Amino acid sequence: MPRDIHKIRNLGISAHIDSGKTTLTERILYYTKRIHAMHEVKGKDGVGAVMDSMELERERGITIQSAATSCEWDGHHLNLIDTPGHVDFTIEVERALRVLDGAVLVLCAVAGVQSQSITVDRQMRRYNVPRLAFVNKCDRSGANPMRVTEQLREKLRHNAVMLQIPLGLEAQHDGIIDLIRMRACRFLGEHGERMVWEEIPAPLRHEAEARREVMLDAAAIFSDELTEAVLEDRVTEEMIWAALRKGTLDREITPVFLGSAYKNRGVQLLLDGVVRLLPDPTEVVNEARDLADEDERLFPLSNLATDPLVAHAFKLEDGAYGQLTYVRLYQGKLEKGDTLFNSRTGKRVKVGRLGRMHSSQMEDITEAESGDIVALFGVDCASGDTFTGGKRISLTSMHVPEPVVSLAVTAADNKSENNLAKALQRFTKEDPTFRVETDPETGDTLIKGMGELHLEVYLERIRREFGAVVEAGQPKVAYRETITRAVTFDYTHRKQTGGSGQYAKIQGRIEPLAGADFEFKSLVTGGSIPTEYIPACEKGFRAMLPRGPYVGYPVQGVKVLVEDGNFHPVDSSDMAFQAAARGAFRQVYPQGRPIVLEPVMLVSVEGPSQYQGEIMGTLMQRRGIVVGTTEDEGFVRIDADVPLAEMFGYATVLRSGTQGKAEFTMEFARYAPAPAAVCAELEKRWAEKRAAGEH
Amino acid sequence: MPQRDVWERSPVRVFERAIAGGLGRGQIGVALSRAGVGKTAFLIGLALDALLHGRKVLHISTQESVEAVRRFYDQLFNALADDLQLEDRAQKLLELERNRHILAYNRKSFSLEKLEQSVGFLRQAAHFEPSFVIMDGTPRFEQTEEWEMQGVQRLAREWDAEVWTSSLVHREGQQCDGRGIPLEVTRFEAYVSVVVLLDSQADHVRVRILKDHDRRDVADLRLELDPSTLLLRWR
Repeated sequence: MPRDIHKIRNLGISAHIDSGKTTLTERILYYTKRIHAMHEVKGKDGVGAVMDSMELERERGITIQSAATSCEWDGHHLNLIDTPGHVDFTIEVERALRVLDGAVLVLCAVAGVQSQSITVDRQMRRYNVPRLAFVNKCDRSGANPMRVTEQLREKLRHNAVMLQIPLGLEAQHDGIIDLIRMRACRFLGEHGERMVWEEIPAPLRHEAEARREVMLDAAAIFSDELTEAVLEDRVTEEMIWAALRKGTLDREITPVFLGSAYKNRGVQLLLDGVVRLLPDPTEVVNEARDLADEDERLFPLSNLATDPLVAHAFKLEDGAYGQLTYVRLYQGKLEKGDTLFNSRTGKRVKVGRLGRMHSSQMEDITEAESGDIVALFGVDCASGDTFTGGKRISLTSMHVPEPVVSLAVTAADNKSENNLAKALQRFTKEDPTFRVETDPETGDTLIKGMGELHLEVYLERIRREFGAVVEAGQPKVAYRETITRAVTFDYTHRKQTGGSGQYAKIQGRIEPLAGADFEFKSLVTGGSIPTEYIPACEKGFRAMLPRGPYVGYPVQGVKVLVEDGNFHPVDSSDMAFQAAARGAFRQVYPQGRPIVLEPVMLVSVEGPSQYQGEIMGTLMQRRGIVVGTTEDEGFVRIDADVPLAEMFGYATVLRSGTQGKAEFTMEFARYAPAPAAVCAELEKRWAEKRAAGEH
Repeated sequence: MPQRDVWERSPVRVFERAIAGGLGRGQIGVALSRAGVGKTAFLIGLALDALLHGRKVLHISTQESVEAVRRFYDQLFNALADDLQLEDRAQKLLELERNRHILAYNRKSFSLEKLEQSVGFLRQAAHFEPSFVIMDGTPRFEQTEEWEMQGVQRLAREWDAEVWTSSLVHREGQQCDGRGIPLEVTRFEAYVSVVVLLDSQADHVRVRILKDHDRRDVADLRLELDPSTLLLRWR
């Protein structure tokens, strides 16, 4: 049976490591009767939580890959997309964010809003995802959900509104006071499955009333009906929910729920909140590009099951069920036996089997409709592909950053060599920020990615899941080069060695270009270069980009304008114009004052205020530019731009400098000019290589 | 075009000349405007000019996050770079960021002691000695008291820096002195050297000097904020 689209909730659960996301997910699956026993993340009983499907994750106690799992609550279908908690795997997080319509931000009642919550929140903001907050671990000593709510307001600038207050905290945490119902709730039974509603205990009555008033004030902004009802004292629960829902969907408020997943408190009420407050698929606008259109125009997807199919493959998984592809349907209908068109490859694939994952159990289904998330079996594609009924449509291309770090891997023996190849093939399909290349100089296999940890995790997987014995080299930074000022070229390519000659002349400019890798434009008029040779010119310039003349690194940020030229009716050819373009580029590029660019990371370090000086010191030593400091209640967050080349091994240094009390996150920020010493060093190395006749 | 020329023609020079060569180190200036008119943009414009002169700028905000302030600078820098047709833009931005530090506080948790301590860390660990300081959103003239103004003055002198603050003017119901300065600010006349009003007109924002050190008659400026870039420009 297809699902009623208004009763679907595609949601992500996003959190800082250790705030209990996996435990919360487990409890959700338990209460929605998808699993029948509960385990802890770090697997005291050796079984481990179901969502952590990878061995490595289980060991580290963190969730790396996003898995989608379905369950039902209160007549609604929930698709949980488990977003990874670690920012090094940004593309994984961002891919998950693309397909979800709403999210639950899990926060620890003790640690509060940590640096990683800030990074994750920033990503959600980028994708306009409406959020609920769940303040977990209210049973821990030091728990203070009010303070966490305050931090949501102050640090993340959310209009956070508590819908509940705790019935006791720390060891006394016993339940929740629901400010909408104005009743207290206790969770009885072995797994808290029996909810008992009772009067609010007298000592908490006053606080509950005060907090309810704050909540009503915040909600009333979104509903005139509620505003009037408050004045006339005839507020109903439905009115409050409706107003809160409006505020949440507009991303104007963040409702705050609380409890303790571990102690089985508050999870059911959070689920009620998910169903009532987060959007259904029709309430979110998703756009796609029409590739058949010249401008690749964007158009909104309809969500209608009766329209042609548009589905997005957001995750590949290879496991017990073979190759699974998770897709989100944005419009149309998908049936078992259908033939789908992959608009990237132009190939057609048949859907032999269709399923829905319930954590690790698969349910076979025969059809699915718009809004849903399902898994296809044995379909060959890459993650990020768009499937349609036949039209060339692509979902708004997700921003895929270029890898910034690389390292060489070598297999110890033949068997490992084979397994390594298999592993690399798989990973490149799964993760667009993970690339594999062969070093043209050494012949080594290079793996490239977004950070040290990113590559480390893949190395571990190569060793464990694929049983390959491999050795890894030192991580290396991916430099780029560019020019800093405009230069003009006037170049003639001429060759006369018997037979037909070669002749091409081109004139124009090469300019620095901000915010893009390369642009080519022809301003040629009057046929001084015949139109058919213009693409050859572009091809010639492009051929120079992978290896820049300055230090041999890829060139980025240049714009080429061809303005004039000349040709010969017999001797001009594609080849000749390509050669002219290459020659022109080589000739004038050095006059453009070329520089080396290095990847710079946005590093956020958070720790107790007293370590401000030490933290700053560690960043300064790494050529960091300390951008800013945020102070808050004894904690300080320092944001800095630091060259990636200086960040290897930073975790250890930071830990020892702050007695393990500070933590950091980093994200690729941009390419920035490298210091003169780095330029000189690379220039020297490149000159030596060229002198040795290698290039 | 030689770089010096660019700075010479900058409207900020005109502004500085109008106030006797600038605010002056160890002194406090106030930018006044109605909400949303461009106090922060005006101050960042001055800061960018200082940065392009190689001076070190400390930007303190009790309203915006570090990220938001940085974006604001980026935006104005790009507009300025377009205007001046700057070469080596990326390199310039890098130098500029090296000379700028943003300090963000919750309004509630802000105090002069904390500020002093943070600047202490900056001077020690990063050898960062600011000579141009923006205090955006603090002190709040409606609420502040003598001791706080004294504190700001002391810090300005200790750091040997120009300190710019801001204050809101209201559409109505606010009492002003003969020069048009709200009484909340006039109260602290002794601590404030320069007062500038960003006067929002129908299609532009006029920059008017209301107080210029101890001078009797202040210059009538022909400057305004460009409504699209928020940069200072000629009228």
